[in-house]
Amino acid sequence: MPLVVIAEDEFLLADMLAMMLEDAGYEVATAAHGKAALALVRQRRPQLVITDFMMPLMTGLELAQTMRADDSLATIPIILVSGAQGSVGRSHPDIFDKVLDKPYSEATLIRTVNALVSGDET
Amino acid sequence: MTYQPPRLSTGIPGLDTVLAGGLIEGASYIVQGHPGAGKTIFSNHIAFTCVASGRKVLYVTLLAETHERLFQALSTLDFFDRSQLGTNVSYVSVFQTLRDEGLSAVVNLIRLEIARQGATLLVFDGLLNARDRGDSNLDVKTFIAEVQSQAAFVGCTVLFLTSTRVVEDSPEHTMVDGVIELHNETVGVRAVRRLQVRKSRGSASLDGYHQFEITGTGVTVYPRLEAAFAYSSVPDLHDAQTVPSGTEGLDALLSGGLPESSVTLAFGPSGCGKTSLGLNFLSLASAEQPALHFGFYENAARLRSKARALGVDLETPLASGALEIVWNPMTENLLDKLGNRLIEAVRARGVKRLLIDGLGGFERAAVHPSRLVEFFAALTNELRASGVTTIATWELRDLFGPTVTVPGSEISSLLDNLVMLRHVELGSRYKRTITVLKVRDRAFEPVVHEMKFGAKGLAIAHPLEPATGAATGVASSVGDRAVT
Repeated sequence: MPLVVIAEDEFLLADMLAMMLEDAGYEVATAAHGKAALALVRQRRPQLVITDFMMPLMTGLELAQTMRADDSLATIPIILVSGAQGSVGRSHPDIFDKVLDKPYSEATLIRTVNALVSGDET
Repeated sequence: MTYQPPRLSTGIPGLDTVLAGGLIEGASYIVQGHPGAGKTIFSNHIAFTCVASGRKVLYVTLLAETHERLFQALSTLDFFDRSQLGTNVSYVSVFQTLRDEGLSAVVNLIRLEIARQGATLLVFDGLLNARDRGDSNLDVKTFIAEVQSQAAFVGCTVLFLTSTRVVEDSPEHTMVDGVIELHNETVGVRAVRRLQVRKSRGSASLDGYHQFEITGTGVTVYPRLEAAFAYSSVPDLHDAQTVPSGTEGLDALLSGGLPESSVTLAFGPSGCGKTSLGLNFLSLASAEQPALHFGFYENAARLRSKARALGVDLETPLASGALEIVWNPMTENLLDKLGNRLIEAVRARGVKRLLIDGLGGFERAAVHPSRLVEFFAALTNELRASGVTTIATWELRDLFGPTVTVPGSEISSLLDNLVMLRHVELGSRYKRTITVLKVRDRAFEPVVHEMKFGAKGLAIAHPLEPATGAATGVASSVGDRAVT
């Protein structure tokens, strides 16, 4: 089962994302901030990372930049889910494979995840 | 010389006055109030003020609405700047850390994040949740003390938000430097917001309740007038000069004119000429004597139309900027908003001639009428000290009758001069009359005079023919049988 790591400090949003992905057949691991997410990514080597922008200790941008700078993590697709910082994500197409602006539908999320995990979305 | 700690301006109009200059840098405050009292908007208004001044802000939430939902709500307010999110102001949730690792882990995370962000303001929304996570009062005290000291060490000011009422002997109350309480109460049929600084360590904040409101600009606080102006803000350099009243014949009754920097109450029933008297006074506005009409009954357009109909020239001073009209519709006003608005309007243009039309507008706005004497005392002291010559009108309820009710029980001690206007029925005719009843420290002509409307408005005509009972409005000529 493909593994998705969710980096999201708001637990209600993290739980909601996890439920949607698990219903779609994914294994999910969550982290409450960017540093924990990086540790989880290094430990579990997920097929995809979904990250919020504003998080304590390490932002979503910092997480993604750190992953891209690490050859062993650089190819893992990263989705930025953001309300206010979507434009920041879109200005870094080399760092984020996709930006989902809040609010988004479950169908959009799953379609995007499926495409990135299967390699159809480049 | 006493030490003045550095202050952090809140950016909330009026609040820095209540706080004696703003929040103290590096201090910690609890902001408490029931849900809907305004804590979130209050703290965000301060946060974005800090951001606008180049500071960094860390906003930490526990169990609250999602940040996106919060941003949607804040987007309706002028101070909110979405472009600053994630750069100069960061909103982070630490609930999972609290739930999984406890209070100590939260303290550590906050410490690291303050340092990482370079934050000089920390807003911690959810003190109640932190309290629930603690096993004892000592845990809560330790948590607050640790957050406080970590923040203070780097000069970061802290606002702890909570929806519970923190009382004086609670562990939270004893640890923080200040406690600000927000209220949104129903008084009669209306809602009134009030703020109180319940604790203020090392700072002489203004005690008691202060009204505030939340509008599209955010929060505005109106310091309770009698607290903010317990003494006039400038020395009262009383000078025995006179100021022309603008009403032909009236200055002679006043031994030369209205005493400068005095407050005159012109009272009488509806239609007797109070506003007309006031318009004459305002028509003498000039660059040297800027004037202000602060009224409740008529908007600017209607007032100008009335002046034109009376032959009183307000257009010239309005066009030159010597006269300003401020209309306060008599709907749901806040007493301190009115008082502060008046004083600010006087200060902004150095007003020297003021017409308050009428004092009843302030009375209607008073949620607690028992404070009106103190309110008017503060207001009139400030106007006098600022060199403003004021005419204030007051409408008597009854057109005719022996009873004259003036505002407040100690009004005569607050007002310098009393001028009574009446309709008088005499010999089957209705006459408008004016009588000077009091001029502080000066001689005056205590004779009932008739008034007439001439080419340039209201004017004093001649003494009323000898009659008795003129003050009641129903008079009889001397020598005639009394009409009952």
